[in-house]
Amino acid sequence: MSEFDALRADGADLAGLRAAIRAFLVSDRETFGWTPAVDCWLSSWDTDFSVRLAEAGFIGLTIPPEYGGRAPADGTGYLHRYVVTEELLAHGAPVGAHWIADRQVAPGLMAYGTEEQRRRLLPQIAAGRLYSAIGMSEHGAGSDLAAVASRATRDGDGWVLNGTKVWTSGAHLAHQIVVLARTSPLDTDHRHAGFSQFIVPTDLPGITMSPIVLMNGEHHFNEVQFDDVRLTDDDVLGEIGSGWHQVTSELGFERSGPERFLSTATMVFEIVSALRGTDVDDRTAAAVGDLIGRMVSLRQLSIAVARALTSGEDANARAAMVKDLGTRFEQDSVELAAELVDGVAGPDRAPLRALLATARVHSPMFTLRGGTNEVLRGIVARGTKAAS
Amino acid sequence: MNDELRALVDEIGRQSYDAHVGRHGLPDPFDADLWRVLETSGLTRLTGEQGADPAEAAVVLGELARWAAAVPVAETDVLATWLAAQAGLDVPADGPMTVAIAEVDAGAGRIDGVAHDVPWPAVGPVVLAARSADATHVAVLPPAPADGTANLGGEPRGDVAFDLAADDVVRLPVAVADELARRGAWARCVQIVGAFDAAVALTVSHVGERKQFGRALDAFQAVQHSLATLVGDVERSRAATTLATYAAVDHGFGSAQADYAVTAAKVAVGRAVGPVTTIAHQLHGAIGVTIEHQLWLATMRARSWADEFGTTGWHATRLGRMALAADDPWDLVVGR
Repeated sequence: MSEFDALRADGADLAGLRAAIRAFLVSDRETFGWTPAVDCWLSSWDTDFSVRLAEAGFIGLTIPPEYGGRAPADGTGYLHRYVVTEELLAHGAPVGAHWIADRQVAPGLMAYGTEEQRRRLLPQIAAGRLYSAIGMSEHGAGSDLAAVASRATRDGDGWVLNGTKVWTSGAHLAHQIVVLARTSPLDTDHRHAGFSQFIVPTDLPGITMSPIVLMNGEHHFNEVQFDDVRLTDDDVLGEIGSGWHQVTSELGFERSGPERFLSTATMVFEIVSALRGTDVDDRTAAAVGDLIGRMVSLRQLSIAVARALTSGEDANARAAMVKDLGTRFEQDSVELAAELVDGVAGPDRAPLRALLATARVHSPMFTLRGGTNEVLRGIVARGTKAAS
Repeated sequence: MNDELRALVDEIGRQSYDAHVGRHGLPDPFDADLWRVLETSGLTRLTGEQGADPAEAAVVLGELARWAAAVPVAETDVLATWLAAQAGLDVPADGPMTVAIAEVDAGAGRIDGVAHDVPWPAVGPVVLAARSADATHVAVLPPAPADGTANLGGEPRGDVAFDLAADDVVRLPVAVADELARRGAWARCVQIVGAFDAAVALTVSHVGERKQFGRALDAFQAVQHSLATLVGDVERSRAATTLATYAAVDHGFGSAQADYAVTAAKVAVGRAVGPVTTIAHQLHGAIGVTIEHQLWLATMRARSWADEFGTTGWHATRLGRMALAADDPWDLVVGR
């Protein structure tokens, strides 16, 4: 196989997959008329699209066939998902509904779930019909996740959950929330001990949700309150007491994935396409070239990390690096794109300005969500020192 | 195979580096001892005579740049030997060489002009690529007189004048000059990443040892964050350069794939030079700006190399034009 193709995640099998997802996107958009969106993985929730995408074979690429998924036998499922994911993001597809379930919950179930949980949940995820939220942050626990104070206490043969989660994306539309909670009291010498994960169905009694509205009026985030919510042992994900390890050990793919530098890509590509055929001066062409050059280099780094993780290497610090560099690029791209929009005249301009407006509101979140860049840079610096 | 090669060049480069600490000048003199060692090991004409691929050449060029080696291996191996072979011109089988690139107006019958910023112009034969509207005119010129000019990193640079009859040059397609420039741009990317590695190593070591306010500098969060940005830009540069290397390995420097990947790498690497050199110097404090310190050999060579074989802005304009001409700009990012 050509190393050049492999480095670009476009070798023989991946190139075929790429062609297939592109063909699907063109025909699906023609038939169903969705509009490409900035930051679509947070903001575009379309359950019908998720089901169609699954039926076409593009969800569940890391889920083994015995659980209804389409993971290839050679263990390259994450690279397959990488290609599909980046094509979805580059084309601004409405992927929000199934996003968290396919991206985080499925790998978590494969790593830590019971056989019963896998058989119950994974086929639904692979079918694009199960939507999940993740309950991590709390009012007092942002970057310092170990300050989580939600508590699950043993009660007979089950558990009782109390606490409040915030910034819970899509919880108001989801079937379940994967909640991180304390199951042992805080030991100040071992702050990361005593956490556990629970898969909490959103229709249980005792759950109250209130919207946390984004500054442009969009509703994606929620405050979720758990008041004496009764859970069973079947709702426990993984080992009691291993919650911290479980939520932190699988972060590599999430931190280094294409969603960390392609959140604004749709806007960038639409603007560049709108400039095509106009009389573009060298300075503007160079501005486009700078954007593309930075995107190419980030993509190459991101793929390098995905390939390292797939082959079992430790790429934790480099994954954090991708998220830091990529999300800062996303932010920079917004203002660079704004300058380019100035060069677009005529009817193309209004839809571009609409994309730009959304990007400007979402932009501050790029470097916050999933761990702030300040925390990430600390990880990179420590990794650099350890490697030297 | 490449690991062994890396270890070999690393050892050779380190010896030269250790022998020259505090003794680098402006210009930095040609390191004849190092050249002899490299030549004995077959490393000075690796792609030309040893049949090595660009990935192996990248190992040699990157390691030598990391150790601030004062030898024109890139010019000799990747550029001059190749260009002379394209033209069927005889050049020496050993010793350093270089290339001179110039634009000429060939209409007047003679091929004459001045090539500017020729690297290492005085250490060996100069293979000229004079580009006119419809051809690349190639000839072998004698070494130019050393005039003491150097780039910011101390490497000799100079002007080479030429005035040749049409019969004294070999006429080749314009694409030859394009490929020569692409080879040069690729080599500079590889060398810059090598220089970046040196800058990172020096910086990590300094902030780990230097104490202020009773603590090592790397205990300060602000310092850690700068270091993370530095390392991030270096790794991003390496990833882009690796793609360019394998575009050349798989498709040759003359291919559209290499044109794309080298252009993208030169933009990404070139734009990283500013932040990387700025942060490396900032974290070194005033200690790093002296000629005795080794840091400038990494940072100022990177600065100079970024401008050679097409500036960053020139490559950005080209990459931008590629994106603006593409049916789907995303295809350009994927490298299709």
